[in-house]
Amino acid sequence: MQNCDLTVKIGKMIFKNPVIVSSGTFGFGEEFEDFFDLNQLGAIISKGISLSPMKGNPPPRIFETEGGIINSIGLQNPGFQEFIKNKLPYYKNLKTHLIINFFGNTQKEYIELARRFDSVSGISGLEMNISCPNIKKGGIVFGTDPQMAYRLVREVRKATKLTLIVKLSPNVTDIALMAKSAEDGGADAVSLVNTFRAMAVNIHTRKPELGNIIGGLSGPAIKPIALRMVWEVSQAVKIPIIGIGGIMNVEDAIEFILVGASAIQIGTANLVNPRTGIEVIQGINKYLVRNKIDSIQKFIGTFG
Amino acid sequence: MPLQTDGIVVKNERIKSLYFLLGIYCPSIANQIKPGQFIMLKTSDNHSPLLRRPFSIYKNFTNNHPDKRKRDCLFILYKKAGKGTQKMTTFKKEKRISLIGPLGNGFTLPHLPSSTPILLLGGGVGIVPLFPLVEVFKGRKLFVFIGGKTKEDILCVEDFKKYNANISIATEDGSLGFKGTVVDLFLSSKETFQNKEIPYIFSCGPVGMLKELATRLKSKNLNCQVSLEARMGCGFGACWGCVVKTNHPKTPYQRVCKEGPVFNLKDIVWK
Repeated sequence: MQNCDLTVKIGKMIFKNPVIVSSGTFGFGEEFEDFFDLNQLGAIISKGISLSPMKGNPPPRIFETEGGIINSIGLQNPGFQEFIKNKLPYYKNLKTHLIINFFGNTQKEYIELARRFDSVSGISGLEMNISCPNIKKGGIVFGTDPQMAYRLVREVRKATKLTLIVKLSPNVTDIALMAKSAEDGGADAVSLVNTFRAMAVNIHTRKPELGNIIGGLSGPAIKPIALRMVWEVSQAVKIPIIGIGGIMNVEDAIEFILVGASAIQIGTANLVNPRTGIEVIQGINKYLVRNKIDSIQKFIGTFG
Repeated sequence: MPLQTDGIVVKNERIKSLYFLLGIYCPSIANQIKPGQFIMLKTSDNHSPLLRRPFSIYKNFTNNHPDKRKRDCLFILYKKAGKGTQKMTTFKKEKRISLIGPLGNGFTLPHLPSSTPILLLGGGVGIVPLFPLVEVFKGRKLFVFIGGKTKEDILCVEDFKKYNANISIATEDGSLGFKGTVVDLFLSSKETFQNKEIPYIFSCGPVGMLKELATRLKSKNLNCQVSLEARMGCGFGACWGCVVKTNHPKTPYQRVCKEGPVFNLKDIVWK
């Protein structure tokens, strides 16, 4: 089987293939090393890191729905210092890109984190999670206000030279507008979508299924919406798009690439089939060979 | 080291009421899984249901077991309760299924003086993960307390009888044995709880039962390991969905699939 050129360039990063594993679904990587060679992946995105450690939400933290899961993990993470000391060393042995997902409660926290990560070696890029409430502005989620998002990206951009990907929230009226705000702010790329706000109720106990009542829906159920959003954003921005949302296999991945995603993230699928990432990489190669396309660059966004 | 692998169904039969025995030929997992560990089983060939389901190991046979039919096989005992287990009741012999395992920390096997009695306290399907411990503690004084809502929920009695264990049964409706909870039965036992020879306890069962056990044992100097159940996402430590609250100073939320499923009863913070 000949190998197609699956190389993708985003910001300063050159990915050997467009398959990335999503934040929060891949732990810090170690949990997957028994299942396959992590170095084959295009990139690994870390669990979201905040300045201070976060305990996370009380259980129950997950609930299975038809073709999906609602999660309310609550961004549990060891915090910046602990991450650098105890988690980062593991990645030094890996030969795939490490992208750090990060978030804050205020614009200042985002900037400080970006500034700190900028001088840490071994990090290829940053993915900024803007689906967080701005506690200085009454809890309005950064990613739902175009002006706030634009300002945030602009200020964070100044704080780091690393490739900056902005992860968009789909809980908005116009995601293309949010993507444009991120682009105008100086993002190297946008990744979409994060999870959809959702809930479930137990009719026997008459209580919410999640400890936090509301969580984020992911998995096959959201794919049609995520795909539509990626396409809309591809019409609105020039920067690369990383597609996320219910990708379970190579066919799903190819749909996203066709509508304009330069790379894709595998999330929920990792929980069910840890080998999904590898299978998708091999599948994309097979598909391109079968269709006599020698480079993925000639294939991205060729829908319609 | 956990792996993702396929197994072949060798047996799938109803034991009683809602309880079934599933036998799977899977050499890689059967030969390394330890008492208290579990597997994550894909119950459908599609996304319905989506997530794998966790099952504690009930019995496993290595590649040199005298009975050739059992060699390299592992067995789980499941209750038909929801979408996943409903699907499992339709598995036929020869069916190929996907497993991830062995998972979890398993029971810690402490060095104990030979006179220390071992106590297994199980509620409902919780008695199942305790069963592998009888082989480990063979030759010791063994007390087994089996509880359930009704006599239809009392499991593994014949299994334990083969090991010369001291068996006590409790049903909430009194249809078999002592009428009441298995914790009540244990606490009234002159041979164990009220004996000066302090037993080492292993327990598994519904949250209500474990919470009651924790409360009643609080003031006593008794060692007790519990195997917990939790709704799981991945089952191998990546998603942090299955946590339980503990008195750990830095990370109170511990993963039932990774730091557990076995914990010291004293370390759990109950709601």
